[in-house]
Amino acid sequence: MPDGSPPPDGPEPVGPAPAVRPFLVTAGRVAPTASGRPVPVETQVVATAEGLAELDDLTFEQHDIVAACRQPQSVAELAARLRLHLNVVRVLAEDLRAAGLLVVHVPDTGIIHDATVLRRVIDALRAIPDSRGVLRDSD
Amino acid sequence: MTPTEPAAPVATAPVAAVRPPLPVKMVIAGGFGVGKTTAVGSISEIEPLTTEAAITEVAAGVDDLSHTPSKTTTTVAMDFGCITIDPTLKLYLFGTPGQERFGFMWDDIVEGAVGGLVIVDTRRLDDCYAAVDYFEHRQIPFAVAVNAFDGKVEHTLEEVRWALDVAERVPLIVFDARERGSVRDALLVVLELALERTGG
Repeated sequence: MPDGSPPPDGPEPVGPAPAVRPFLVTAGRVAPTASGRPVPVETQVVATAEGLAELDDLTFEQHDIVAACRQPQSVAELAARLRLHLNVVRVLAEDLRAAGLLVVHVPDTGIIHDATVLRRVIDALRAIPDSRGVLRDSD
Repeated sequence: MTPTEPAAPVATAPVAAVRPPLPVKMVIAGGFGVGKTTAVGSISEIEPLTTEAAITEVAAGVDDLSHTPSKTTTTVAMDFGCITIDPTLKLYLFGTPGQERFGFMWDDIVEGAVGGLVIVDTRRLDDCYAAVDYFEHRQIPFAVAVNAFDGKVEHTLEEVRWALDVAERVPLIVFDARERGSVRDALLVVLELALERTGG
């Protein structure tokens, strides 16, 4: 912690420093998109057929990202599973998208104001049982 | 911004057409050790994952927006999990550190969130002021959830509401971050609030 006080409990805010400085793999670039606006952490990324076909020609991180994206996942999941800095994943995903190896689905922010979508989420959550495995009354 | 690959021959592209689910994001905020990760873990279908997020740290005492605060970027751990609603819709829960010194600047994480749940430990109310302020300023639907450690809460909800100075319209609940049903109900409070805002 910069202020010297350790967190009371819970995970360490920062893990051990990686052997390779994070932005080395992005050649120092930190702006993930042309607009300079980073894609949201929940942005879904999925490999294209070209990406999977060219897997063997890709360098370490790019290879790992495309391989992991056989299944669609968020940039946050990619960063966590591959132990890469979130912004490194953003930069590399944009490169891979530009090369046609990944599709990046930037979420439509309008869905949070879409009552139909919210009701679907609410209904699905209500169906989740308690830990005891007992269905809750749908009051 | 959403590029679509031209259709490749089906025989060589069995997985390329996978349509990812629409992500819906909720933010779980609160100080270190308040139960964010526990809450995410209680309901997430995956073990909570951790990634490092850059957070812009704002110098303390920056209420006056007319002067530019000094900012530095801090890297913090962000724990998150998810719940598949159906094949086309997925709820993501992002736990973000919310102490004072992280100020208003979680835009990177919070942008586009459907709502927020601020988890409170009544023994350390200070830790959640920044989160409450943030959601109020950004007009993001949120609820305050007092985590009942060992089933006990040190202050009444009225006392907590008074101490945090949250408006009556902001739901204030007691929950247990370890109980799936309890976390589910807390998330539902936020989602119902978000639904109300749509007028739906």
